[in-house]
Amino acid sequence: MNLEKKKRYFETDPEVSKTDANQNNNDFEVYNIKINPKSLKRKPSHFKNKNDGKVLKKKFSGKSPINPEKLEKHSRGEGIDHNNVKHPLHAAKLKKRENKLNYAQKQAARSEILLTEQQGSLVVEEGVKTTSISQKTIKESVDIAAATKIFDLKLDFGPYRAKYSRNGRHLLLGSAKGHLAAFDWVTKKLHCEINVMESIHDISWLHVETMIAAAQKEWLYIYDNTGTELHCIKRLDKILRMEFLPYHFLLATVNEYGFMSWLDISIGEIVSHYNNHLGRTSVMTQNPYNATLCLGNSKGVVSLWSPTVKEPLAKILCHKTPLTAITVDNRGMYMATSGVDRSMKIWDIRNLDGPIQDYRLRSAPVDLQFSQKDMLAVGLGEVVEIYSNCCTQTVDRPYLRHRMAKSINNFKFCPYEDVLGIGTSNGFSSIIVPGSGEPNFDALESNPFQTKKQRKEAEVKALLEKIPAELITLNPFDITEVDVPSMKEQMEAKKKLLYLKPKKIDYTPRYKNKGKTNIARKKIIKDATRKEQIEQAIEAKKHLNLPTDQNIPKQSFGVLNRFVPKPKIKK
Amino acid sequence: MEDIEDTDYVASEHDILVKAISKLDKTQHITEPTRNEPTIDNSEFHLHKRSNELDLSNVVEALEGTAIHVKIGKKLKKIQNKSQVLKKPLEKPQAERIKRAIGYEENKKKIGRWDPVVARARTVDYVSFPIKHVSNKLQSTGEFLSKLKLKSALEKELDEVDPPAEVMEEDEEEQTYPMSYEEMIEHRQHSAKLRAQESYKAAKAKRQSKIKSKKYHRILKKEKLKQQLKEFEDLQKKNPEEALQKLEALEKARALERHTLRHKNTGKWAKNQLIRAKYDKEVRQQIAEQLAVSRSLTHKTQDTESTDDEADNNEAIPDITLSQDPMNPWMLQRSDKSNVDAEFDFGYKKYLKDKMFKRKDNDSESDSNDEDANKMVSEKINSLKESIAKLATSDIEGSAVEEFIVDTNKLNKEIANLKASNNALDKKKKKKSIVATSNWIVEEVGNSIRNDITQEVSSAFENLEDDVANKVEQKLKMLREDIERIGKSEKPFKNTRSKKDTEKDIDNLEYLKLKNQKTKTIIDEELLETNKSKKTEDSDVINSAAKIIETAQHNTQDGVSTDIDPNRFIEVKPKYLNTALSNLDNDNDELDDDQVVPKVNIEEVFEEDDVVASFRQEKEDEAKKDQPTDIDLSLPGWGSWGGKGVKAPKRKRNRFILKAPPKMPRRDENKGDVIIKEYKDPKMAVHKVTDVPFPFTSIKEYEASIRAPIGNTFIPESAHKKLIRPSVITKAGTIIEPMDEEELLLQKNRNFSNNDVLRLLAKK
Repeated sequence: MNLEKKKRYFETDPEVSKTDANQNNNDFEVYNIKINPKSLKRKPSHFKNKNDGKVLKKKFSGKSPINPEKLEKHSRGEGIDHNNVKHPLHAAKLKKRENKLNYAQKQAARSEILLTEQQGSLVVEEGVKTTSISQKTIKESVDIAAATKIFDLKLDFGPYRAKYSRNGRHLLLGSAKGHLAAFDWVTKKLHCEINVMESIHDISWLHVETMIAAAQKEWLYIYDNTGTELHCIKRLDKILRMEFLPYHFLLATVNEYGFMSWLDISIGEIVSHYNNHLGRTSVMTQNPYNATLCLGNSKGVVSLWSPTVKEPLAKILCHKTPLTAITVDNRGMYMATSGVDRSMKIWDIRNLDGPIQDYRLRSAPVDLQFSQKDMLAVGLGEVVEIYSNCCTQTVDRPYLRHRMAKSINNFKFCPYEDVLGIGTSNGFSSIIVPGSGEPNFDALESNPFQTKKQRKEAEVKALLEKIPAELITLNPFDITEVDVPSMKEQMEAKKKLLYLKPKKIDYTPRYKNKGKTNIARKKIIKDATRKEQIEQAIEAKKHLNLPTDQNIPKQSFGVLNRFVPKPKIKK
Repeated sequence: MEDIEDTDYVASEHDILVKAISKLDKTQHITEPTRNEPTIDNSEFHLHKRSNELDLSNVVEALEGTAIHVKIGKKLKKIQNKSQVLKKPLEKPQAERIKRAIGYEENKKKIGRWDPVVARARTVDYVSFPIKHVSNKLQSTGEFLSKLKLKSALEKELDEVDPPAEVMEEDEEEQTYPMSYEEMIEHRQHSAKLRAQESYKAAKAKRQSKIKSKKYHRILKKEKLKQQLKEFEDLQKKNPEEALQKLEALEKARALERHTLRHKNTGKWAKNQLIRAKYDKEVRQQIAEQLAVSRSLTHKTQDTESTDDEADNNEAIPDITLSQDPMNPWMLQRSDKSNVDAEFDFGYKKYLKDKMFKRKDNDSESDSNDEDANKMVSEKINSLKESIAKLATSDIEGSAVEEFIVDTNKLNKEIANLKASNNALDKKKKKKSIVATSNWIVEEVGNSIRNDITQEVSSAFENLEDDVANKVEQKLKMLREDIERIGKSEKPFKNTRSKKDTEKDIDNLEYLKLKNQKTKTIIDEELLETNKSKKTEDSDVINSAAKIIETAQHNTQDGVSTDIDPNRFIEVKPKYLNTALSNLDNDNDELDDDQVVPKVNIEEVFEEDDVVASFRQEKEDEAKKDQPTDIDLSLPGWGSWGGKGVKAPKRKRNRFILKAPPKMPRRDENKGDVIIKEYKDPKMAVHKVTDVPFPFTSIKEYEASIRAPIGNTFIPESAHKKLIRPSVITKAGTIIEPMDEEELLLQKNRNFSNNDVLRLLAKK
């Protein structure tokens, strides 16, 4: 067995960078260059014979080409066709602006070269399964710094819930028996440790690591990193689950009676508070893509909620049994749900479609969690199984399996680390899952090595860029679209005015919902199923070993073919 | 002295006299000025009248007398001819107007020089002021000299340790031109020539594209097709791989063409022809051809597996009644191999067909059919003979048809008989049809005898078959009559016998069937069973496959079911995973991953069907709730009887019931068990744009303009800086002078060439 050493962002490895460079060299692509009059005019004279002590003047051959795939990745969609803008001056200006946006796109693609870190992985010999690798072997084969990330905390106060801060540096533990602890888990430096003398149902970091929210038996409390109680919010009572929406500064909660509330922690106001009429449910997660809340109920329905609408934005019937866990991946593409019926399904949450995958497990999962690189951790009693790449394709076996002697309460992947932190019935354990975390971090977004000053700066900046709660909708790009219905209304009203020339406006939206019409969709489905059926039939025929001698072409006699004896078809 | 005084006196006296006399005349006379003096303002009284103008001719007339005077007179005349009288000055307002106009023009020109400067400044990303960045600060001598300093001791030492790189002076390169003068001229001529040729070609193409003649286009198309074929054949020889690729492309094109409805009778031309077809036979023929073409194009390529059967059926079944009719497009289609669309069949299609049937013999590929045809004829005759023999023997063997046994001799006889006896018209028709349909008539070579034979044989066969069929029918009739007559005791036996007979006959006459039914995939269950001995997995797979096929078959039998329930199809197969069992559940749990999990249906405690049902009900309700309903404004009983069971009259219904707008498709309509709320969020609407601002006229363009973020959290800093740069940048603390005319000379301003903007700004 060969275990690859994990590369951390702080470990510079010259070899890696070398191979990287080589790869880049090999990755050259050939581009078709248009010949324009300019290029005809000047032929570069690369070599000069006058070499006597004078500097060879090489012509600058221009910037290196960009990988079109990367360019496509940073694309913001189709640009303006400035020919459609009648006013020549504005058309010229828009063209200039378009050029700048293209420059931005190219620059973004170019700056990907700065993302030098690579995703970790497990490399095993043939015939050896990755599942057979235990944490012990991993610990033996990684470097010392990484090995410290595997640890166990034996704590006495019952089942623990664990949550990492957004930059992955700090860990918060809260137990059902009131034990609340916050610490820097990398250095193992304790920030605070208190017992609130009440049951803690859920915990959450707020926008910075100096503030902690704990949902206690009665009310919601906010502590600072030294354990001092800052607030007791009595309007939020009997809370079961909490989610912090970092860009909106909202603490979203659901309580025992099904009341959902969004607390704006920057101004200390409850933005929205209503009952979801789903009854008691403790299955909740947020969709990081659009900041909606996903709530699973006992009827197997997942509903999506926003603070402005008092009814679910969408409902999906996922299972026929009560749900046990939901998780949504980082990009908001996939949602994994699991039910009591021991099934686990993957859904296309962006299109509200699915299921994409349907897995049947041998026991009902306790918790599900997607990592930054879309690995899915499944908690089954006292075993955690991690599946990699299980959304787009059907996997056969887990990537990793970790067994403990204590039952799992919840777990979270640590951002920017290949670590999974598991809150268990008697403590906390941290395991390494190679390749689960995002290797490159954006220090302006969330910085694991943040200093105090940086933290303060980031806090101010985040507050300035706070997104209003009203903008939480299913489609986060709603805001970039023109409100066509009300615009039409306005236009109608204007048309009624006398002596006013109505504007001529083309109402076609930027994105037509192609393939979403009834007929088109049906056709697609029909075609797809037919194709599948045909394929399956062919496959089946192969299996059945039907006599293929029919394929032999026979001599044709034209009109006289009728006299050729026919083989009788078996019936 | 006295005299002088006297004359003076006389003169004054005379003046007085004249005055007195003139006073007698009451009109006032303006005395003409005897002398003019240049003054600024002319008195209106001093103007010369035209009448007073000196007419030189008069003077000349007076001078006529002496020879010298004549000369002078001529001179004077000449002078007068040459000279021009100055025109009267213009009226003041007109003169002013002209002056203004000229002034405007001049000024316009003068100011117009600034147009590109202004336009450039308007369109450019940003303008920075002051425009001239000349540092007006001169260095003082001392300052300048202070910079010239020898190296310090440390520097010297450092230089010794690490001598600085010599600053290489780049010698000024002599300018290299890409082309010499001659080359340039040559290049230019070449490009001019190219351009000229291009224009000729364009003109030609334009001219040709305007030709409306159908015939011309038809010929053109044919030529093109031929050319293509030729090229293709060449390619086949040279580069078979590429040829194959091309062939595939052709096949694809054909498939695409099959999708379209071309060559049908739906085009404009076809419709017109259809009208005419009633009266014109030729036109009918044309339409038939067209349809035949369409048939041949839309003819489905056969699967290799089923080719032999279907091909047999398609080719071998002559349709006697239908083949009589030369107008029948379907028959034309059948005979498309031979004559009708020789123009359509000589090309790649033929090749395609060959490919389809996987014929390896080359004879079909070659275009020279003559010899091959001969061969084929002889072969066919042979085979025919054989088959005749077979037929005879089989007939002999089948005792039931004894009465109708026709041995070959008899057959020949009958042929002769039939030839004689059959009525002329029928025969003609048949012959005609044969000529039209047969594949192997080659009259040019001159084997007419063989041809005749084949014709005879085929016609004979057809006749014979007709005969046989007729006889069978007659016999059947007779039998039926017999059955009716004879008592019931004999019935079953005879019946069975007759049935047998008919069956056999029908077997023989199978070709009489019009068309084969759709071929069905049939699965042998026995075969399935044989596979059971294999692994369970395999059997599972097969079972499911068989099921699929069965369902497919079922579908084909039922006919195409257009109504599709997506829920039925998008069923992801559950994947059973070998997950670990926790110790709580099971103690002995070190499972190998390869071990197959038994797919036992777990008794799902929570399985309640009404969960699904209630969800669907909810979805329906939601859809209904959003759906607008008709509004009934009628007052029941107003103007007519009201009450239960009384229907409002139609007029009332039309007038008082407001129709709801048509239902808009919901987002979750086809998504299965998903409900998506359709709502308008007023809080969100506040943030949304409800108007398209000025330069945009379409929503698409506007949305495209705001599609990309400009903040530095989303895009690289350099791009962000570029995007947020203000359009006017002024340097603080400097005087911004107005532009001077030097700006006009700048290259960037002179090169500005956005004419639209220039025109727009000039208009202003």
